[in-house]
Amino acid sequence: MLESFFNSFPLLLGSGNFLTIIFVIALGLLIGLFVGALPGLTTLMAMAIVLPISFFMDPLVGIPFLIGVYKGGIFGGSIPAILVSLPGTGASVATTFDGPPLTKMGKGRKALETALFSSVIADFSSDIVTILLIGPIALVALLIGPPELAAILFLSILIISSTSSGSVGKNMIMLAAGLFIAMIGQDPIAALSRFTFDVFELRAGVPLLPMLIGLFAIPEILINIETKAKEFVKTKLNLKKEEKLTWEEFLKLRKTILRSTVIGTTIGMIPGVGQVVAAFVGYAAAKNSSKTPEKFGKGELEGIAAPEAANNAVNGPTLVPLLTLGIPGDNITAILLGAFIAHGLRPGPELMSEQGSIVFAILLCMLIANILFLILGYFTMPLFSKVVTIKKSYLIPLTIIFAFAGSFVFRHNPVDLYFLLFFGIFGYILKKLQFDVTPLVMAFILAPSLEYAFGQTLSLGDDNVLMYLLSERPIAALIIVSTPVITWKLFQRSKKLRDVATSLTSSQVKSS
Amino acid sequence: MNNLLKTLIAILAIINFSWIAKADYPEKPITMVIPFGPGGSHDLNARVFTSIIPQYLGNAIIVKLVPGASGQTGTAMVAQAKPDGYTLLFTHNYVDQLQHHVKKLPYKPLSDFVTVGRLNYAAACMIVLSKSKYQSVQDVFDAAKSSNGKLKLGHSGMWGATMVPMAQLMSWGKVNANLTPFKGGGPMVKGLLAGDVEAVLHFPSVIKGQGSKVRTLACGAKEKSLGTPPTFEELGFTGQIGYMDRILMAPAKTPPERIKILQDALSKLKDDKTFKKFMKRLGENMKFMSGPDYEKIRAEKSNNYKSLVKQMTKG
Repeated sequence: MLESFFNSFPLLLGSGNFLTIIFVIALGLLIGLFVGALPGLTTLMAMAIVLPISFFMDPLVGIPFLIGVYKGGIFGGSIPAILVSLPGTGASVATTFDGPPLTKMGKGRKALETALFSSVIADFSSDIVTILLIGPIALVALLIGPPELAAILFLSILIISSTSSGSVGKNMIMLAAGLFIAMIGQDPIAALSRFTFDVFELRAGVPLLPMLIGLFAIPEILINIETKAKEFVKTKLNLKKEEKLTWEEFLKLRKTILRSTVIGTTIGMIPGVGQVVAAFVGYAAAKNSSKTPEKFGKGELEGIAAPEAANNAVNGPTLVPLLTLGIPGDNITAILLGAFIAHGLRPGPELMSEQGSIVFAILLCMLIANILFLILGYFTMPLFSKVVTIKKSYLIPLTIIFAFAGSFVFRHNPVDLYFLLFFGIFGYILKKLQFDVTPLVMAFILAPSLEYAFGQTLSLGDDNVLMYLLSERPIAALIIVSTPVITWKLFQRSKKLRDVATSLTSSQVKSS
Repeated sequence: MNNLLKTLIAILAIINFSWIAKADYPEKPITMVIPFGPGGSHDLNARVFTSIIPQYLGNAIIVKLVPGASGQTGTAMVAQAKPDGYTLLFTHNYVDQLQHHVKKLPYKPLSDFVTVGRLNYAAACMIVLSKSKYQSVQDVFDAAKSSNGKLKLGHSGMWGATMVPMAQLMSWGKVNANLTPFKGGGPMVKGLLAGDVEAVLHFPSVIKGQGSKVRTLACGAKEKSLGTPPTFEELGFTGQIGYMDRILMAPAKTPPERIKILQDALSKLKDDKTFKKFMKRLGENMKFMSGPDYEKIRAEKSNNYKSLVKQMTKG
């Protein structure tokens, strides 16, 4: 293993390809950044489209190119989330909590820079961990089967719901609503239709992207129009003139970034959980350990750093099952697998033992991509700022256009516009009634995987699931046993935090 | 008089236009819907052949992935599209020939679509871990019998490309087993490697990647690259089993001359050097079949699935 690691350096540096590699990674990053920043276009689509281009490149050029698109795309999605509350993916939903408030306060640039630095630092560290621990991570991946995954997902939903900002009762209602919406369509195991009322369009279930845009962007637009129309029109959004992130502010974030990196890397090792959970857990953890949790959701830089660091730290370890076992964990790694095999390299145990240096060369390219991204991101930010240097009065109609266009290009299906409108109005009502939609979104995103893993567990356990868990699945049993304890602790803690927050706001009201 | 003139002009215009269109088809890029998600084998095969076919077709084919409802969303989209040859469907036999026996669909696969051609097929093989005690398909059957149907086997989705042949094999061996679904081929292999299930069916291109970790017991077709394990037919199974045909379909009302143009372009691929090179790397064969030839076996396959579904849903 060590030998192939050292052999990977001459492979990258000595081939005369090095400059080409740097160039294609940079190109990929820019493509990804651009596509990710446009709502409705996903990183996944961008990768599927550029995949054939990589077929005709050298493997050590084509695959880094795709990795560039991947990394650029994930960060790109945070830009509209921060500026106009348009989450392009589930992974950037948590970023919409503090991004738009910061933008309104004239701190959009600080928010974008926080996102960039936390993403790059977390990604870089998790890639290093991946290179060092590639063997053990592969073993962990095999230990997590359907029963363990079901237990972990169940626990994640509880953790996130218990630390959301609404009251416990409201959060539970939202959780149930999310689970119900996720059940519309075909059930994941036997593919039978549920709650579709014979409407064919509902058979594929509720689409994620129109729902996210509807729930997060539309209420924001409506409330802006309704309450702050006057002050909104007055000001001009100009990122170029805005203040940059100061060194002191950055130093304050280091604990949050470190915590989220650990969380993200750990979650990345568990196949099937992914970036969305990482971002939310990272956010919840930062809020929980903050001295001023009441500031979260109102424009706190830590609220950007936490989810961004956590979701990017997932990137490194998710590649491990693909590289070592030949098993893609999600759609993005499946496309990377395609790029590998089109070059005659088949990831798996044999590639690792026979051509391990190629695997390490690709991991090194990920490190290079991070460094390049830091530079590129920093210098393209003024460029992005130019794009959004517009009167705020234009920003609202523009956001509406992007919301509709984004929902449409996602599947090219006009039905999605109805979904967008429905969830837009639904989200607006919820906001008025002071419901936090986080548990709903979380439950909606995780429910299909949870239900699948749960169904598989029942199937594997045959007619005695309890025996199966106790005798063959000690890890799952352990997680299940500790679930009530963890949830109770978190619940108590967040209750305390909420009490502090309410007493603070009420005393503020009194004093003013 | 005026009306007659208008009608005449209209008729002339239609004839004229259709003539122009016929001569120039395809005059703009063709959209090809894949009713499955990104990164799957259909996506990969499509990326390869659509990057090569423009030189034979004179225009590009753009891949559009429309996953959802086990392939129904994308299929419905093509069924509703204008049958002008600019919207095609790249699908497989289980969606095309089995699904309508299980579900009520807003389209009739067999009569609403016509085959342009079969690009290739993949034949599933039964694999176990190398350290497994099962040396043959019969061993797996015996274990299923002696465990009273509790032997754990995996598949990659209800009524999908590995579940249907597994059910066919079980019914042929007259045994029952615990069939656990996995969310696609990747997680299914992981389930096998982790020991969650004891045997699965999978395609040669994937099995090769697992190298010496798995043992192939038998395959749907002769697979030299896997050390020529016996075929299911040699073991006594009658008829084809485990073939996943990657088929290019067009709406049935598409003008036949346009389908002919598509068929000609598709058939030229099998002699293309770049295409051969990539297919070899993907580990896929180039068993091309022309549209008319495939139509001959299509209805028969559908009938076989019908009786299988009947048998499966009965018990």
